[in-house]
Amino acid sequence: MIQPFTSDPLRWVSEDGQPIRELPARFTPELLRELHRQMVRAREFDKKLVTLLRQGRTTFYAQASGMEATQVGLAHSLRVGHDWVWPYYRDHTLGLAMGVSMLDIVSQCLGTNSDLCRGRQMPHHFGVADKRFVSISSSIASQVPPAAGTAMAQKYLGTDEITVCTFGDGATSEGDWHAGLNMAGASGAPCLFVCENNQWAISTHLREQTASETIHIKAKAYGMPGYYVDGNDIVAVMEVMGHVAERVRAGEGPALVECLTYRIGSHSNADADAEKHYRTREEVAEWEARDPITRVERLLEHLGAPIDPQEIRDLVAATHREVDEAVLTAEATGQPGWEIMFEDVYGDKPVHLELQEDFLRAEQGTATTGGRA
Amino acid sequence: MTATQKLAQAGAGAEETRTLTLIQAVTEAMREELARDERVVVFGEDVGARGGVFLATAGLQAEFGKTRVFDTPLSEASIVGAAVGMAVRGMRPIAEIQFADYMGPGFDQIISQAAKIRYRSGGQFTAPMVIRTPSGGGVKGGHHHSQSPESYFAHTPGLKVVMPSTPYDAKGLLKAAVRGEDPVIYFEPKRLYRAAKGEVPTGDYTVEIGKGAVRREGRDLTIIGYGGVMPDAERAAAALAAEGVEAEVIDLRSLVPWDRELVLESVSRTGRAVLVSEAPRMANFMGEVAYVIQEELFDQLLSPVVQVAGFDIPYPYVQDKIYLPGPNRIAAACVQALNY
Repeated sequence: MIQPFTSDPLRWVSEDGQPIRELPARFTPELLRELHRQMVRAREFDKKLVTLLRQGRTTFYAQASGMEATQVGLAHSLRVGHDWVWPYYRDHTLGLAMGVSMLDIVSQCLGTNSDLCRGRQMPHHFGVADKRFVSISSSIASQVPPAAGTAMAQKYLGTDEITVCTFGDGATSEGDWHAGLNMAGASGAPCLFVCENNQWAISTHLREQTASETIHIKAKAYGMPGYYVDGNDIVAVMEVMGHVAERVRAGEGPALVECLTYRIGSHSNADADAEKHYRTREEVAEWEARDPITRVERLLEHLGAPIDPQEIRDLVAATHREVDEAVLTAEATGQPGWEIMFEDVYGDKPVHLELQEDFLRAEQGTATTGGRA
Repeated sequence: MTATQKLAQAGAGAEETRTLTLIQAVTEAMREELARDERVVVFGEDVGARGGVFLATAGLQAEFGKTRVFDTPLSEASIVGAAVGMAVRGMRPIAEIQFADYMGPGFDQIISQAAKIRYRSGGQFTAPMVIRTPSGGGVKGGHHHSQSPESYFAHTPGLKVVMPSTPYDAKGLLKAAVRGEDPVIYFEPKRLYRAAKGEVPTGDYTVEIGKGAVRREGRDLTIIGYGGVMPDAERAAAALAAEGVEAEVIDLRSLVPWDRELVLESVSRTGRAVLVSEAPRMANFMGEVAYVIQEELFDQLLSPVVQVAGFDIPYPYVQDKIYLPGPNRIAAACVQALNY
């Protein structure tokens, strides 16, 4: 039984890779290696996408380096394609670990014809229907009330699905966050709220964000349990998420999990030199020493199943190739033409949109190669 | 289509009808849609046992139970947001916002989530849902119970916006909204809830969103309005008729999309347009109608388009009736157009 409302983050593995609680049997070296593989893949994806950004091939990217244990651990705690996810804009590691293809994410970042979202949003705001990974929106916390609604629908329809809703620490200041948690609590909807507390909302630190000691204790106000987890310990994340997801699935109402982690990189390319303006190099170094990937490597060493450094080098190289191939494949599909601007606004196309489309057709002179890939 | 046919379309058909008030028609539409489709649910603040502050949902919880018709926390953000999430998961929610004036806390959910999800996901996720809300003045409500915020929503692509003025349209438009594929903001002119009575068929029917209706035929000018101002527009037309002026009266019924064809056909015949809305004049939806008329019919206009609107002030309490564009102000605007 995992207790909510602990004063310290729940942890299974210490920062130097020693189990401090009995390691659950499912965490075999094979599983840990697979989790490690996914974390490294996501870390390298971050690096490659920043490069892509610097090359001017995409215009926005929000790194998740440092948060891999939280997102990969969460992905392994839900039933992909069955449970619904209302994510936030730093969840590509979650998406990748859920099996969203690199091509889908890269296509969205490049706005190519292979983008499932058809080039409508700024980069890094993907959505994939077959994974039930709802299209990401930029406005902070606006996914929280809809997540409550999806969970209410699941309860009404009598499904055994749950809804997972993620957000950063900054989102917990928004009215929509409180409205959504309150709605889910009052309706007993099967919603698992996950705060990926990376401690910085762009340049605003958690201490300026709230006077609340932690985020997870806010759950108390909404009549749901709040769990506090070391978000850099993937064993802890999976143990707590697994327990809480089962609880939510069993009809015991919503729950909030706060994963304490850290964003190693900048918020986005908009604040590329974060250490110069709002945080210290020492703080970043302190958290780099708690790296979730290193922790798994140390744990595997402790278990007598260390990862060969060559294996990691091969994985890094393979990931870089994978991204390069995804970029080439996506770019080869071209960018959507102007025609699709007027599609998907409504279920049908009203006259005023037809007229505006006619205007643009005349202005553009000829039809382009729009449409789906 | 002739004007007579349009009149027939706008009014009751040949089948059996009975007289209902506008709010009775709203309730009946919800009752029938709840019975027709289990994906339909009705919720909001006080809609359950109480039946809503205006009793639009009276009796529905007793009939369909608390899983179909239920009260929510007092939070427009969560009422609208929950409707989005339900719709995305395959339901057909009808959410009630107690007064249109209270849409503010739910505004981000309407414009960032409901209006955008189809577009931003490339059609992968959609939010077919209805937000019903009483709007407009004339009930001595002061500025937090009398506003007409439809222009905010008409300005947001992805939303459909409708406002009936008759019981027939109230029922038919609400059913169309529930069955459609888009988020619909359904404004109910609260001063007509019980003042507007009319024939409503007993059988199932819908009124297509985006089609206006000719309420009165005329050759001399065209009065165009929607919602709560319509009875006054018709009174103005009747008064003008006594003076020998034949005004055509068009009820837009839908703002997004709106019936350009009907409006342009009428104004091209009459040469004069008087646009009536009780919302504040600045950036009023009717500005769009006026723009299209001048763009399309400049050469055929016999006078400038005249706008009769609310004033650019918060809706007042004591001056409630003076604020509203009543029949005299509408008729005066018509005379202005005629005397240009």
